[in-house]
Amino acid sequence: MSDAADLLRTARSALLEKIVPDLAGPARFEALMAANAIAIALRSTPAALATLAAADEALGDAGLLVARIRAGGLDPGAPDHAAIRLALLACAEARCAISAPKALGA
Amino acid sequence: MDEERLASWLSAQAAAPVAIAMRERLSGGAIQQNWRLDVTRDGVAQSWVLRTDATATLAVSRSRMQEFALLRAAHLAGVTVPEPLFACDDIGVIGQPFFVMRRVGGSAAAHRVARAETLGGGRVALTQGLARELARVHSIRPPAPTLAFLGAPDPDPCGRFIRQMRAAFDSYPTPRPALEWGLRYLERVAQPATAIVLCHNDFRTGNYMVDDHAITGVLDWEFAAWGDPHEDIGWLCAKCWRFGGPGEVGGVGDRATFDAAYTEATGATVDPARVAWWMIAATIRWAVVAIAQAQRHSSGVEPGLELALTGHIVPELELDVMRACA
Repeated sequence: MSDAADLLRTARSALLEKIVPDLAGPARFEALMAANAIAIALRSTPAALATLAAADEALGDAGLLVARIRAGGLDPGAPDHAAIRLALLACAEARCAISAPKALGA
Repeated sequence: MDEERLASWLSAQAAAPVAIAMRERLSGGAIQQNWRLDVTRDGVAQSWVLRTDATATLAVSRSRMQEFALLRAAHLAGVTVPEPLFACDDIGVIGQPFFVMRRVGGSAAAHRVARAETLGGGRVALTQGLARELARVHSIRPPAPTLAFLGAPDPDPCGRFIRQMRAAFDSYPTPRPALEWGLRYLERVAQPATAIVLCHNDFRTGNYMVDDHAITGVLDWEFAAWGDPHEDIGWLCAKCWRFGGPGEVGGVGDRATFDAAYTEATGATVDPARVAWWMIAATIRWAVVAIAQAQRHSSGVEPGLELALTGHIVPELELDVMRACA
């Protein structure tokens, strides 16, 4: 684990174990959100970001892709339909790995 | 808030002396402010809620005067809502338009309600209650003279939804291919509306109050509009609105219970294909809102944790959409 990640992890533990228990109401909610934000930052490892970048690159220009989708050019039956669908799933999964790992069954 | 001015206005509306005994800000609602008002009306103790605008208003939601009209229509139709009492569009009283309704007991806390075994009379009774409330909402049909501000109903709710979402995406800086994929799928499989009715458009766990026995009040009418009844059912059943509860319907109960109670109350069948359509639509709609909220943070308009974290809800919504579309 890098120094930065270690510091983040330590800060998150401090929040949850030493600060949150003494808080109530909006301050508690804010502190829990801070802990959540740190967790997301911790999951933004170089490897996770590289996976995401690769998945995004596989899709090409997002604006062009959207235009093709809207025009119906990637509907079932189109040659790229299955491949693009898998690529979009891969992007969503790569983002969930950072933002919401529980969505992946983690 | 000038309490004297408010009390004097309330007394005029009530045609009886109203004295404010206690005023307390209630939690909940990023768009509106709710205040508990304990008063005496002609010496009799009453507990009311005053609802007004927060400083940041969302363009798509209704004004307080319109919300009051919706609450009154709902009340008349037998929907369990806090009884609407008075509405004020004069900003000279408290500085913003507002309305006053009777305070209801119970809790709307979404995670608590979704996971509770016994609230609302138990999961089965609560699910049936949700069906009956929606049935009564859907009994309100166009044309409704008191709801003229809703405009003429669009005969094609599916097409209208797709257009609205695409317009939203066009206004955002970053394209969203996964959500657009979902919209194109919806466009391909869209069916005509079964009926055009009043839809609540935010009927979900977290927006109704419940006590140990029953639903005590359906809240947050500011998004109501004419539409297909399946819009509301889809929103209620969407995966993103289950708050950790085990049931498909609002996290609370199962579809069979809901559908049977809804059909009994309305005479209309719930079409599973249309519910599935509007569940995907619900996910996309919530994603569109979440993206806008995240942008308020990232653009610097309103930096903060809650809005920043809202952006991190979107990937899971995109995954749900991709998985749901063939």
